[in-house]
Amino acid sequence: MRVDYHIEQPIALHAAFDVEGFTVLLGTSGEGKSLLLRAIAGLTPARGEPFDGMDAQHRAVGYLPQGYALFPHLNAWQNVAFALRGSQRRAQAMQLLERVHMAEFAERYPATLSGGQQQRVALARALARRPQLLLLDEPTSALDPVTRDDVIAELIGEVHEFGIPALAVSHDPHLAAVADRLVLMHGRRVIQIGSPAEVYANPVNGAAARLLGHRNVHRGRIEAAKLVWPDGGMAFAIDGRVGADMNVDWTIDPEAIRVVDVRDGLSDVIDASIEVRQVIGRVTQLGLRCGRGRLWVSVPQDKAIPESVALQLPAEAIRWWERDT
Amino acid sequence: MRLPALASFLTLLLLAAPFIDLAFVTSWHSFGFTEGDGSAIVVSLCYSLLALILIIALGTPLAWWLARHRVRGLWLVDALLLLALLTPPLAMGLLLASIYGPYGAAGSLLEHAGLVLTNSGPAFVLAQFYSALPYYVIAARAAFEGVPRELEQIALTLGHSPWRSFLHVSLPLARLGLAAAIALAWVRALGEFGAVLIVAYYPQGIPVKLWVNLQNIGLGAVYPLLWAFFLIAMPLPLVLGLAARRRHLI
Repeated sequence: MRVDYHIEQPIALHAAFDVEGFTVLLGTSGEGKSLLLRAIAGLTPARGEPFDGMDAQHRAVGYLPQGYALFPHLNAWQNVAFALRGSQRRAQAMQLLERVHMAEFAERYPATLSGGQQQRVALARALARRPQLLLLDEPTSALDPVTRDDVIAELIGEVHEFGIPALAVSHDPHLAAVADRLVLMHGRRVIQIGSPAEVYANPVNGAAARLLGHRNVHRGRIEAAKLVWPDGGMAFAIDGRVGADMNVDWTIDPEAIRVVDVRDGLSDVIDASIEVRQVIGRVTQLGLRCGRGRLWVSVPQDKAIPESVALQLPAEAIRWWERDT
Repeated sequence: MRLPALASFLTLLLLAAPFIDLAFVTSWHSFGFTEGDGSAIVVSLCYSLLALILIIALGTPLAWWLARHRVRGLWLVDALLLLALLTPPLAMGLLLASIYGPYGAAGSLLEHAGLVLTNSGPAFVLAQFYSALPYYVIAARAAFEGVPRELEQIALTLGHSPWRSFLHVSLPLARLGLAAAIALAWVRALGEFGAVLIVAYYPQGIPVKLWVNLQNIGLGAVYPLLWAFFLIAMPLPLVLGLAARRRHLI
């Protein structure tokens, strides 16, 4: 489904992209992502397709706002039945609750349900509307970090099962990584569209890389064919021919950085001190202070880490993009 | 933690003192009503109910509108509500007589249409309406402001019209506050004396009849009617409060 919306107030925004399967619109806070969803749902004045000019109650959308907004005075099945009419509404609501594995909680009030359970009830309620498009506002924000991945996996499974295109807006790279299609928004405009694999492999600029959760994205400057990193107080060699000097954003994969012992006296190394160790599975992520900047480095857990560390940044692993401002 | 409990007990005792005293000073062995007390009870009950219905019918849309819309000059509406609230009841009666009386701008027109707003049932209701409406609007507005707007909007996205969204979301979620607003309007309308005295000395409701009894007979004729007043005034707010709290929310 093609989404093309112009918003004038309270901020000016234009967004145009296709929604296919589970599409995630990724952007930082203040980009107007939630506003765009509200515009598509008809809750804020805007022009665009689909549903142009229609009142909110006539738009076939299933809208799940942040926190899910279940009606606190209605239990789970009554919430789902809210969008249904006729004598069969309770039976239909129960069927929908069964499809999202919530039938046993039908009589429970929202306040007694977990974040993930509330999300499933809200999804069933939105589906009861028979929507052409599902709109999900920050669907991971109210979830417990421990169960978040499972809840999201179930949500995406259900969205695929129902076969309704879904647009989720989020600032969460974890959610973006599981999308069918990814749309990146920066500076209130769409900057990149593609599959997560394509977009993660080739972010169009530093802002895109930051949105995608790349850890080592820094500002720098190319001067005399070298990359100057002012925060780190250093310059290092980069691969390829570089023409004029320019301001850039640059990044390096944490796995590509080599940790060496400062006492080995190697050349082309950066002095660093360990600020934080983050153990994730079989990998240790080290947060290393370099001047005023910080670099993250992935080290296998079985690898010994020297007491006094220095870093080697292979020139071929550094990527950079010219920065507009 | 004992201090708040002690303070609460003392406050309640202060509040209860006049009523405890009433129980002692009422001459229970010669308890009886004077002539006209029965009709005063009927007048108060019927016209107060009518005034309450009008207050709810006209005050609810206004309260909801005030809770949901931020327009320029809203302070003027706030000032108007406060004006109606702080006008002394007797002065409000005089103002009502001035506009709705036989020589008033609206009164003379309405009288031609057959609606007499002096010493009549409609005049009685009019005085109660003006006395209790601001209390209802202010309390109901606060009740609607407590309903998350997002829930009303979700109802729209689920295919409900704004009216159905109001009925099925705003009203039920505001019901505790609305029950309080109705109870407040009811006791205010039923107990209104000053404004009613000016525009509707007749038909006499309980507050005016209490005064008449005091003037003509004495305290002994006041207490039985006062007990009757408590008896008819209490059930509605009591039942409303209980009903609104019966189903637990959130």
